[in-house]
Parts: sequence; structure tokens; C-alpha cells
Amino acid sequence: MDKKLNLFGVRHLSPGASFHLIQYLEEKNPKCILIEGASDASGMMQAIADERVKPPVALLAYTTELPIGTILYPFASYSPEYQAICWGVKRNREVRFIDLPSSILLKLKQEKQSEKDRERANAFYTFHNEIYDQLAQRCEENDYESYWERNFEQNLHPDTFREGLAYQSAQIREMVVAKELASVPYDFSYNLIREAHMRMEIQRAIVEGYKPEEIVVVVGAYHLAGMEGDLPPLSDKELKRLPRAASQIALTPYSYLRLSSRTGYGAGNKAPYYFELMWEAIQEKKLKDLPAIYLTHIAKIQRGKGFNASPASVIEAVRLAHALTSLKSGALPVLNDLHDAAVTCLGEGDLTSVAEAINRIDIGTAIGSLPEGVGQTPVQEDMNQELKRLKLTAYKSPVAQELQLDLRENLKVSSKEAAFIDLNRSTFLHRLQVLQIHFAEKMQVSQQSATWAEKWVLQWTPEVEIEIVEANLKGETLEIAAAFELREQLHDCTDIALSAKIIRQACECRLTSLFDHALSSLQALSTDSNNFKETAHAAHELATLIQYGDVRQFNLKPLVPILQQLFLHAALLLTDASSCDDKAANDIAPAIHLMELISQQHYETVSVEVWQKELHQLAWRDDLNAKLSGIAFSILLEHSLATEDDCAKEVSRRLSPGVPAELGAGWFEGLASRNRYALLSRVALWKELDHYIQQLDEKEFVRSAVFLRRTFGAFEPNQRNSIAELLGDLWEIGAETAAENLQAELTEKETEKLDELNDFDFDF
Amino acid sequence: MAEIKDDVLRLPSEWLYIRELDALKEEDKNEEKPDGWQLSPKAVLKFIVGGKAKGIDITPKYIGNNRLVEIAIATLLTDRSLLLIGEPGTAKSWLSENLAAAICGDSAKVIQGTAGTGEEHIRYSWNYALLLANGPSEEALIKSPIFRAMESGSIARFEEISRCASEVQDALISILSEKTIAIPELGRELPAKRGFSIIATANTRDRGVNDMSSALKRRFNIIVLPAPAQLETEISIVNKRVAEIAGNYRLKANLPKQEAVEKIVTIFRELRRGVTLDEKQKLKSPSGVISTAEAISLITNSMALAASFGNGTVSDADLAAGLQGAIVKDEEKDCIVWKEYLENVMKKRGAAWRGLYNTCSEMNA
Repeated sequence: MDKKLNLFGVRHLSPGASFHLIQYLEEKNPKCILIEGASDASGMMQAIADERVKPPVALLAYTTELPIGTILYPFASYSPEYQAICWGVKRNREVRFIDLPSSILLKLKQEKQSEKDRERANAFYTFHNEIYDQLAQRCEENDYESYWERNFEQNLHPDTFREGLAYQSAQIREMVVAKELASVPYDFSYNLIREAHMRMEIQRAIVEGYKPEEIVVVVGAYHLAGMEGDLPPLSDKELKRLPRAASQIALTPYSYLRLSSRTGYGAGNKAPYYFELMWEAIQEKKLKDLPAIYLTHIAKIQRGKGFNASPASVIEAVRLAHALTSLKSGALPVLNDLHDAAVTCLGEGDLTSVAEAINRIDIGTAIGSLPEGVGQTPVQEDMNQELKRLKLTAYKSPVAQELQLDLRENLKVSSKEAAFIDLNRSTFLHRLQVLQIHFAEKMQVSQQSATWAEKWVLQWTPEVEIEIVEANLKGETLEIAAAFELREQLHDCTDIALSAKIIRQACECRLTSLFDHALSSLQALSTDSNNFKETAHAAHELATLIQYGDVRQFNLKPLVPILQQLFLHAALLLTDASSCDDKAANDIAPAIHLMELISQQHYETVSVEVWQKELHQLAWRDDLNAKLSGIAFSILLEHSLATEDDCAKEVSRRLSPGVPAELGAGWFEGLASRNRYALLSRVALWKELDHYIQQLDEKEFVRSAVFLRRTFGAFEPNQRNSIAELLGDLWEIGAETAAENLQAELTEKETEKLDELNDFDFDF
Repeated sequence: MAEIKDDVLRLPSEWLYIRELDALKEEDKNEEKPDGWQLSPKAVLKFIVGGKAKGIDITPKYIGNNRLVEIAIATLLTDRSLLLIGEPGTAKSWLSENLAAAICGDSAKVIQGTAGTGEEHIRYSWNYALLLANGPSEEALIKSPIFRAMESGSIARFEEISRCASEVQDALISILSEKTIAIPELGRELPAKRGFSIIATANTRDRGVNDMSSALKRRFNIIVLPAPAQLETEISIVNKRVAEIAGNYRLKANLPKQEAVEKIVTIFRELRRGVTLDEKQKLKSPSGVISTAEAISLITNSMALAASFGNGTVSDADLAAGLQGAIVKDEEKDCIVWKEYLENVMKKRGAAWRGLYNTCSEMNA
């Protein structure tokens, strides 16, 4: 390549690089600026440099057909590429992107993902990253970021930056390139093809008449060697042979939050707002004030939160940061020093108390904006695509329309897409729901337990358009945005039932990626929770998912261990939860039934043994809630873990005249709340009950009659008749006579007695 | 410095590591040093975290996060005072002693804080015989370690500062901010010489400890010393100490197998941090402190058990008994914590853990 060509290697998202690049541009005054970036976005230079554009913004390339792929070029105000574009456009210079067109980049990236030997690839990237760490260690820095900041960002001397970075990158490239070819051949060739294309574009500019010395090429420093080497540029013929995916490219607003958490450009940028502060400081030529600016910001937030953070503390923090720097023989504190100074002087040595403030100043809350008419949001695009794919375009009308879905596979159609169209529709609509895009509302289905049926009402309003644009900030496609939203919710979630619900939503939205995260969060919450009821309900939610979830074509295996844990946890909480009053017992009883249901449905996975052991405890102990003890005992009976004899004994023990009537009757109520038919068949039980009643004196009898009446009130009429017949048999007056007596009208005296019972005054 | 006899139980750091310090001084001869420092900051760092100087190995004194040591040294560079806090057994005093030894070659100016420490231990007191005979005079003045450190421009240490009554702690406030001690009886004040600083240590977890006022805390740069960050670090600390203690007490049991130590440290770390080592599962932490120091005593205890009542080899049962005692302190709650840990984590770890699991669950039944 021509030696006179002006090459400038940058680190993406670096204020230092921006500063030096602008100086370089001023010096070289190029007529043509060529920048690393998808070449089909060259037409958007004017839009990017538009004064009304407020960074952070991003160029987003995305496929318009399945599978979905995206490439992102985020620009912050301190991005060297962004600064170069603005510089060039303002002065009417030719500014172009020279990387492969996005259609090829996307396709190659998808192919590249089939890199076969994952392990070897990971080993290579670990090796690659370790080189940077070693470099930092050699210079006695704690990490590469500190090394970089100290040696490059803070280095504002002309010349040394460009040459130093070029030298370092060339050296590192030399160290890794052979191993790259051997370990990650796809990634290696992807880079080579891109560089060949960039060389081709440079060549084209020269052919068009720009002299090499009139051109400045801005690429990532790693690619410099690829620009300088002797390899030939890509030929038109070769370019034609490269595979392409149908794709679009758009300019979208971006946010610092996302800039810090994910990066499209390779190089990380964990502290965008800090770098913005640095960029401002560099421009105002007061970089040395940056530590004071940064720490004052932190102190201000701390004060806002009610912590003590006096100017004196800030002064101490700045001094400490400088002292830390002097230990490294540096000139100015780096972010790491500032963090440590903030923790030590403003947070009393405790990271957690300043973590939020540090996060806010590191990351910031900035969201970019675009003037009207510029760019088209990818989520809107995705929405339209999905509507088309799922044959829902007819519903895009202001009239509300009903949509019935049957999630089961339609066996009558040939293509897979058609067979699962309703399932896919449901997934799509659930995602909209998560994103609070009010296009569709879910209705109740009459047959509640039919998990395969859904009913929705769809209606398109102007608000929906706005909501879709807003969703754009969460991700480029509905899928990504929904996943982002759920992840955020999960992050803030402190309630175990809520997190179980999020898991269900993740299932409904088919967001597999979220699943692990959600499960571990649920697991974490369940560990902290001491609430039997909540835990049991969460376990039940999972159990139901596992049992019926496969209608959504979902791998439910990962749920199983969490279910096991929740179940065990709830089981161990049972005894504690059961020492409560009757009011609280009303909440706990259903949870016990749910747990028992789980233990029956999933007896192969959950630890039924522990559960039954806990039930045993509950059943035989006298100091816990009597009603719950009764329930536990009836479960034991069902499993023949208590014998007929035990039953008779326990009834007579619980229902003995010494025991307060409400306790005895409460116990019986619990016992009778499950499986009444089985109870009816246990003659010994009724004998004991009869015996108990016979023993009572008048006053006690009235009391317990009130409670027993309540218990039997919950029985079906025919069950009550059977009991009467049973008792009739016991009293040897014959079942039929008993039945007759019961059917007869109440006498006046009997009515009077019953009224008395109704008015019974509990003198508690 | 006074002559040190060789029959003392424990030598102060500046004598214990005198060869290392001399080597560092030699190497460091031409470096610029802060006022009152005998070594440059970088040499102090090397003394604490280890390295090589003039062909002599400098043993690491503090194993853990070097960055914390850097912050500590930087703090002393700014003439601010340093407060090291942390749970029991995180090497606070050890670090403070070695910092003082490296910086001013004297770690003996120390106040050992107790509930009975009074203000006069921090400032000065009087020789009452002389005071009564001659009235207030320089000769009658008994100087506190802090007083002497201010006079000589060196470092004073204040151990267990939070055990002193709050009013006594507050005597430090004006010393730290104004760097003088007023002696009204003699009509003068003592300004601190350059190089003066205080390293205090405090324990956060123990009961019966007084709170520090925020006014005092503001005058310190505070560093929290964490429990060892890496499993390997903690295992090596435990191994080292267990061997030393076993030697001291002449225990007649074999040292436990490496895997047993690993298991104990793993269990302790997981319960302490409330998450499994692979960070995939959250766990409940028991109510008590389960520090590295407790892991060490647990293992030496099991060795004592094995030596006195067993066959001299530490068995799973010996360890299980120790674990039960160390983890289940507050009956009900801890019992459930331990049970959940056994069922959710240990049971699923496969055959290598089966023996320990069985004995532990028997004991916790």
C-alpha cells in the first residue's frame, strides 16, 4: 500500500483518540476521510453529522429475514469516528465508510458463528486477552484499562499517541496472528476479508483522483497492519462471490446504559459518562481537574442520598487519588484510582455505600436523540415483519378484533411454520405485552385449565406506534427488547412469586436466553424467603409449567432442579409456618394442599421423603395449629403412613373432653378437609367421634356442636346423609331410620335449639 | 531501638524481618522518601506484598488484594490516618504492624484498646510523685505512644479502637484534625512532626464493641479488609496455620488430607459468601461469623479429637462434629441453613463428598 497514505489507528470510543485525530486532521487537511464502518452506510454521513443529532446514537445493521442478526456501531460524542465524520462533513470533504457492506458482514458473521471448536476458540480469546493483562502487569498497573488510560488517554502530547498505539497494536497482532489462524480460522478470515475490502475502497478513492496524501484512513488500531501490508485488495469479482443476507441499516438513538453493557465495536467502554467528562475536560484543556470534577459529582449524589460527603472529604479523596497515582509514577489518577479514593474517603471503606453513585457517574443516564425524519427505528421494522410473517396485518386497524389461538401443533398442514403459527402468534403477542405495547389484550378463556387455548383482542391505536418507538431503546428487535425488559424487571424483583411469574412470562415469550438468569434469581430469592406460602406457590407455578409447558415447545429441564429446591425449602419451612393462629392458617392450608399436589405429580423428582417427615411432625405435635395438624394427618392417612389404629387413637386423643372444643373441632375440620369419601369409610373414626360427643357435658357439647357444625357445613348433602346413616348404624337404630329422621321436618323445639346455637356467645 | 532479647515469645516485625528491611533500605538508598519515612512508598509496598531486593527474598506479609495495600500506603502518604476494619481474622493488626515497621522501623508505639482505656492513654498522664513534689513539669509528664509518635514524626498504632468507650475515642478527633496536643498545664502545645500518622484497627462483627462516631470516622481513611478472595489463598493460609499450630501443641494426629481441608474451606467459603463457588446457587448464611480463623480451629480440633479418641487419622465423623458446632450456633435457624446446604449442595457433589454428607446429615438430624 502507498506509503504516503495517512493512516490513523484509533481505539473506538476513546476521548484521547478523538483529540489526537482532530489534531491530525487539522494538520493533514485531507480531502477524503475513509472510516472503518459498513460501506452501505456512507450515505448517512450527513444525517450523522446533523447538528440536531445528539449522541449517543448508533448505526444499526440488521437482517430483514430470519435468522435475526444485528451489527451495531455506537457513537458517543467522544468517538473518534464520530468526531472525524463531523469534521469532514462540516468542511465538505468526502467522508466514506470502507468496511464490507452490512449485508455481507451480517451473513459472514452468521456463518462465522458456526466456529466448530468452541473450546479452542475460547482458549484463543483468553490467550489474546491475557496479553493485554500481561502488558498492564509489566507496567505495574492493576488492569489494562488503567494502563490504557494512563498511557494513552492522558497522553496529550502530539505524535506519540498515534505512533505509540500503532506500534503496540502491530506488536500484539504479530504475537497472536499465527495462533488466530490455527484456533479460530473463521474469525481470522473474516478479518482478512474485511481488511481486503477496506484496501479495495482505499484503492478506489485513489483511482477516483484523490492523491494518497490527501486521504486519511481511520480504522481500529488492530487493523493498521492489515492496511499497511502487501496483500492485494479485494477484486470486484471476489466481492460478488461473497454471500449476502437481506439487510437494512438505520441510525437510531442509543443510550449510555447500553453502551456500557454491550459493545458493538469490540473495544469495551464501561464508563461512558466518565469518558464524556474526560472529553469535555480535554477540550477545555483542564484534564488535570477531572479527578476533582468526578469526585465532586460522586459527593453530590451521596449528599442527595443523605450520606455525609463534605467538601473536606472530597479534598481528601482527590489527595488520596493523587497519592495512589504517585505509587504508579503516573501523572494523573485513572478511573480505578478515583473509585478507590471514593470508596475509602466517601464510603467509609465500604463499596456498597458508594456503588450506586459510582455507577451513576461512570455510566450516566444519557439517551441520544435524532431529529424527526432521520432514521427509521428497527423495532418498527421488526414489528411490521412479524405482523406479515404471522399473517396478522389484517388486525392492524383501529377496530378491535378478537383472535382465538390454539397453541397445539396443527397436524393438517404441511409446513412447520403453518403448523405452529398460533403458537408463534402467542409468543409475539406476549412479547408485546411484556413491552407494554398495547396492541393486544389477553382475555380470559372460559375453560381455565386449557393451557393450549388463548383469546386476544387486537386493536391498533396511535399510542401503539409511540410505544413501539419507545421499545426501540430496549433493543433492536421485539425479541431482544422483551428480553431486556424482563431482565430489568428480574433485576429489581424482590418477591419470589413475582420472579416465578417472570419465569412464566419468559416461557410465554419463548426467551430461552433469559431462562437461566431468571431461574438463578428465583433460586436466590427463595433462599432468602422464609415465607412458606410464597415458596409453595412459586413451586406450584414451576410444577405447572413443567407439567403443561411442553405445549410451547420449550426445554423445561432446567426448571427441575429449581423445583426440587423450592419444594425442599418450602417443606422445611412448614413446621415454623404452622405455629400460627387460625386466621393465618387459612392462608397456609391451601399451600399445604398445593405442596401435596406437587409431591404426587412430581414424586420422581422432589424429595417426598422430607415432605412426609415434616408432615409427620406437624401431624403429631400438639403445639402447632390444630387445623393444620388435622390436614397433615389426613395426608398421612392417604398414604397409609398412619394406620387405622393410629387414626382411632389420634381422634380420641385430639377429641378428648379435656381439650378445648375449638382445638378439637378445628383439628377435625382439618382432617375432614381432604378426601371425604375416604373418611367415610373409616368406621373407627366415627366411633371415636361418637364416643367423644357422648362424654361431653352440656356446656362443652354446645361449644363443640358449634364448631362441628361448621365443619360438616362444608360437606355435600349426600355426604352428610352418609354420615348420618353411619352414625345410625353405630347407634343400632339402622341406617334407614336415621335417614328418615333426618329427612323429616324440624320440630319447633329443634328449630329453637338451632337458633340458640346460632346466637351462641363465645366468651373467649 | 532497644536491644531485643532472644527468649521473647514473639519478635516485633521490624526485628523479625530485619534482614529484609536492611536489603530494602540498601536498594532504596537513592529514592526520594517522604518526610519521616525510612523507605520509599514502593519499597514499603514490596515489603508487604513480597518480591526480591538485593538478592534477598522478601516474604509476602499480606496475602490477598495488593490494591488494598496500595491504598493503605497512599493514605499514609497524604498524612491522613488509616483505619483498618474487618471481620475477625482478616490480618488487620498484622498489616498495621508491618506497615509501621516498614515505614518508620518501629511498630512498638501502640495503644491496645480496651474498655478500660482512658483519655490519658491517648494524650498524656502524670507521674504523680513528681507532680506533687515539683508541680507540672516536663519530667513529670508521661507521654502516650501517640504523644511520642507526634514528637518523633513516626507512626502510632491503635489496636481495637472500637473497644474503647466512645468518649475516649473522641479524644482522637482534635488530634487527627489539628495534629497537635495541647498541654495546658505546661502552657504549651505539641505540634506533630512531619511523618506522624496513626494506624487504627477495629473489629466490625464482635459483640460488645462500641460504635465509632461519624466525626471520628470522617478523619480516617477507612479500608475494609476482606476475607481471602480466592479458594487457593484460603487453603494455603489454613494449611500453613494448621501445621504451625499442630507443631506448637504437639498434637499426635496426622495432618488431615488435602481434600479434607479443601472441603472444609469450600463449605466455609460458600456459607460465608452465601453463594456456591461456581456462583450458580445462592445459599443462606448462618448467623455466626465463620472466618478463616474458625476453619483453622475446626481442623485442629478435629485433629485433637482424632488423636485423643480416634485412631490418629482425621475421619469424616471428626470433621462433621466440628462443622456442626461451627455452623449451628443459634439452634433453629442455623439448623435449617445447614440442612438446606447439605441437601441442595453437598448431596449433589457426588461420591467424594458422600461420606462427609452422610455423617453430617446424621449429626444434624
